Amino acid sequence: MANKQLPKAYYELLEELQACDFVLVELTLYLDTHPNDYEAIEQFNEYAKMRKQLKKRYEKEYGPLQQYGNSYSSYPWNWDDTPWPWQV
Amino acid sequence: MYTNRKYYEPYVGPFDPCPPIRVKSYSTPPNLYMGFQPPGLEQYSAREALYRGTLWKALCDPYRSKREE
Repeated sequence: MANKQLPKAYYELLEELQACDFVLVELTLYLDTHPNDYEAIEQFNEYAKMRKQLKKRYEKEYGPLQQYGNSYSSYPWNWDDTPWPWQV
Repeated sequence: MYTNRKYYEPYVGPFDPCPPIRVKSYSTPPNLYMGFQPPGLEQYSAREALYRGTLWKALCDPYRSKREE
């Protein structure tokens, strides 16, 4: 099909996912040096759960997010369709 | 008022080619003054943290121009 334009909701969902990922990265680095900080671990698990839900929502609408078994595939095999992440 | 910006006076010689800058300053990162990060610091919301580049308010150190500071 011609130039498939992505809906606005796509960008909002992607930004939410990015924000969630960033918090997880920050908390991972923090927890590396603070292994017994209970609230941080709680927060980390909370964001990990949220990230899974966001990924499910994303994949239901826009296809696989990652490859090599990190995401289920839809039919037909479409992970290499445009737009690629840097084109979005 | 306490600030992370530090000042020093460079040497001004009689044969300097350009008009001297009497006082020069540089900004120091907040983690210098924190040492080991205490648990339970105040945090930004997820999206705000993504924009600011850090999760903790205390560690946020954007490149403010000298005039603003």
